[in-house]
Amino acid sequence: MAILTARKTTKRFGGLVAVDELDVEIKEKSIHSIIGPNGAGKTTFFNCVTGFYRPEEGQILLDSKSLVGLMPDQIVRLGIARTYQNIRLFPILTAMENVLVGLHCHLRANYFGIVAGLPSTRKEEKDATEEAKRLLRFVNLAGKGDLMAKNLPYGEQRRLEIARALATKPKLLLLDEPTAGMNPSETQTMMDFIRHLRDEVGITILLIEHQMRVVMGISETVTVLDYGKKIAEGTPEEIKKNPKVIEAYLGKGGAAEAQRVAA
Amino acid sequence: MTRLLTLWKHGVMTGLLGGLITVLLSLMGMVEAFSQRQIVSGVLSMDQALLGVAVVFVGYLAAKRTTSSQPLWVVINTLTCGFVTAAMLMLLLVIGHVINLRAVFVNASPVLYELLSFGYGFESAPLLFVAAPLCALFAGILYLLPGAFRKMSLVSLTCIIGAGVLQDMLRPTLAAWESLADVSEWIFSANGLTEQGATVLFIVISLVTLFWSFKGEAVKTGYQGLPAAGQKGLRWTGIAVLLVVLFILPQILGLFLSEVLTIVGLYVLLGLGLNIVVGYAGLLDLGYVAFFAIGAYVTAILTSPELGFFNLSFWQALPFAVLVGIVFGVLLGIPVLKMRGDYLAIATLGFGEIIRIMVLSDFLRPWLGGAQGIGKIPKASIAGFEFGMPQEIYYLIVAGCFLVIFISLRLRDSRLGRAWKAMREDEDVAQAMGINLVATKLLAFGTGAAFSALSGAIFATKLTSVYPHSMNVMISINILCVIIVGGMGSIPGVIVGAAALVGLPELLREFAEYRLLVYGFALVVMMLVRPEGLWPEAVRRREFHEDIEETEPAPSTASASS
Repeated sequence: MAILTARKTTKRFGGLVAVDELDVEIKEKSIHSIIGPNGAGKTTFFNCVTGFYRPEEGQILLDSKSLVGLMPDQIVRLGIARTYQNIRLFPILTAMENVLVGLHCHLRANYFGIVAGLPSTRKEEKDATEEAKRLLRFVNLAGKGDLMAKNLPYGEQRRLEIARALATKPKLLLLDEPTAGMNPSETQTMMDFIRHLRDEVGITILLIEHQMRVVMGISETVTVLDYGKKIAEGTPEEIKKNPKVIEAYLGKGGAAEAQRVAA
Repeated sequence: MTRLLTLWKHGVMTGLLGGLITVLLSLMGMVEAFSQRQIVSGVLSMDQALLGVAVVFVGYLAAKRTTSSQPLWVVINTLTCGFVTAAMLMLLLVIGHVINLRAVFVNASPVLYELLSFGYGFESAPLLFVAAPLCALFAGILYLLPGAFRKMSLVSLTCIIGAGVLQDMLRPTLAAWESLADVSEWIFSANGLTEQGATVLFIVISLVTLFWSFKGEAVKTGYQGLPAAGQKGLRWTGIAVLLVVLFILPQILGLFLSEVLTIVGLYVLLGLGLNIVVGYAGLLDLGYVAFFAIGAYVTAILTSPELGFFNLSFWQALPFAVLVGIVFGVLLGIPVLKMRGDYLAIATLGFGEIIRIMVLSDFLRPWLGGAQGIGKIPKASIAGFEFGMPQEIYYLIVAGCFLVIFISLRLRDSRLGRAWKAMREDEDVAQAMGINLVATKLLAFGTGAAFSALSGAIFATKLTSVYPHSMNVMISINILCVIIVGGMGSIPGVIVGAAALVGLPELLREFAEYRLLVYGFALVVMMLVRPEGLWPEAVRRREFHEDIEETEPAPSTASASS
């Protein structure tokens, strides 16, 4: 059962076709990776899904609801959250506030409730604070809620960004290079964490990743993009052997070389 | 030898800087203008204090920049600094003695030369070489003192100079209390503090600051050690005391100072509104005065018998003024929804001017009074009590401030306040977190406009008339300065900023000529030394503090790369 379906999605920037008639199906509760050389259109695809860009052609469906033309704030309410390749926290808000902003779309307080300090508003705010604390504990940031986001170390910023995304209670979580700049042991922790998210919390994960160890280690399906086109899709095992993929990464000569080595 | 020169270099450099500053102060005429006033009667005049403070400042710089940690070198450098400064002033005197500088520098008058040579004529000028190095040496000693004592000396000296400068305000205030009249006579002479008054003040303030330096922590921990109920009780007591003080303040201060307070209060209202738009939501609005004008004009149109349309009372007109303000805030917000940063600033700047020029236009003259404005706006009154005098209008403004502070506080710690701050930090990500940018921005514009319109309405009934020329773009800029100097996004910061940028210049009106100069200088220094503002939000304060710790070794790398 597919949670997210892209049909012939095309996004152009002037003459450049960044995403070219892309067909992808993300199965519910799967961990799905998108890989490809730099400039292959991976992040552009993410931006199309989350509503930052509007694809010129094609469809993107969440369950069976079309996402094309919706604003980012509407899409996140439907249950798609994301993190960014270069961490984009709210730098001078505290870690706690960052997570609370993530909870924004689930809070109901309106202007007059806030100013009048209605009991329902107060209770909601209290519950939200509890929930934010729980999320911080969940990503192992307990007790760091009062620190400013930009003063956290790199790895913690990555985790905080995930906590903020989780606060929106997503069905589908888009992770853009979650292990970028991490050392092997941090990478391993992150992989375990992603698996935990899927297994225990039941969130479908779509991730862009460059570290092959991560891609091959945790994903069930891998989609390979090159110049905006899908050139291969399958299990990690299938992808490893696919000559087109090797060619895209290593060039024609490289592919031949690799086959010779494999033979 | 080169090592000695490097050690010595900063003394000479800062001395040159000091010379430059003091010569400029002299040639601009500030020294002469300030000479009429005494800080401590017969001992220290204000021009001497001005030059002295300048020399102490560069002396402190010299001490701080000394690369050797040996006290001897600090002393040598500060003395050098003072000596060089004195030499440059001496040069000015000599040149002025030989050639007539007045053709170019209007202020290079014989009076100035006399002041610079301590009033004894040209022959006594070498006294400069004693006075300036002494001032600089004092700065050096300050630098070498332990923190608590340095703070003590600086605070008490600042207080003395402050008391001397503001004596016109303090003396009548003290004299208004029967029992304090004698004290006031004892501390203040007709011009400046008395010698014994200054001494006693110095000692008292020193002791208080010393006590706070050593015991302040204990008091704070004691407060934090109290049970929650006790803390709450203390806080409420504090608020009650504040309320009582605010209530009796205009009675103590008298007419002129109450007038100053009302102006500060109006700026606090405006600042709190702009704080929501700029400080929280990060929407740089330079046409903010437009809503002030709308509030004032709606009140005028609805109440003034001069136009004779409605003749409502102030209280009946007030909701309409605020409502129309909100409507315009939202309407003017719609076209600029997609704009960011500089573009937004320019567009809103245009709005401010459009409103002002529309009010001035002949077309709208029958309704808005054109350049003549609208007069005869009735005073506000409750149950027969009329808010007529500044002392009475003060209560109206304080009530308005409390209301606006209350709303600001509630909004700040809410879902909406967080949405605003998130939008300020990163608009795209905020949207991806489910924040509806259109609604959130319009709420910010609307709230800001409402506060501003409230301020405008009170302004109209305070002056009982409104004129288009009191709604110019300088007001927008001033309000922006208030929140920047106070600390972006900080509610107490707005109050401190308004007091510093609006209140102080009102009190120092006699130096009107130099007001803008000092204002500009203060802004530049502020941005260099304390960019987070006078009273920043707790989080931001921490941020800048941590930055300082992190970047402590930065100056050496910077100088190495240059």
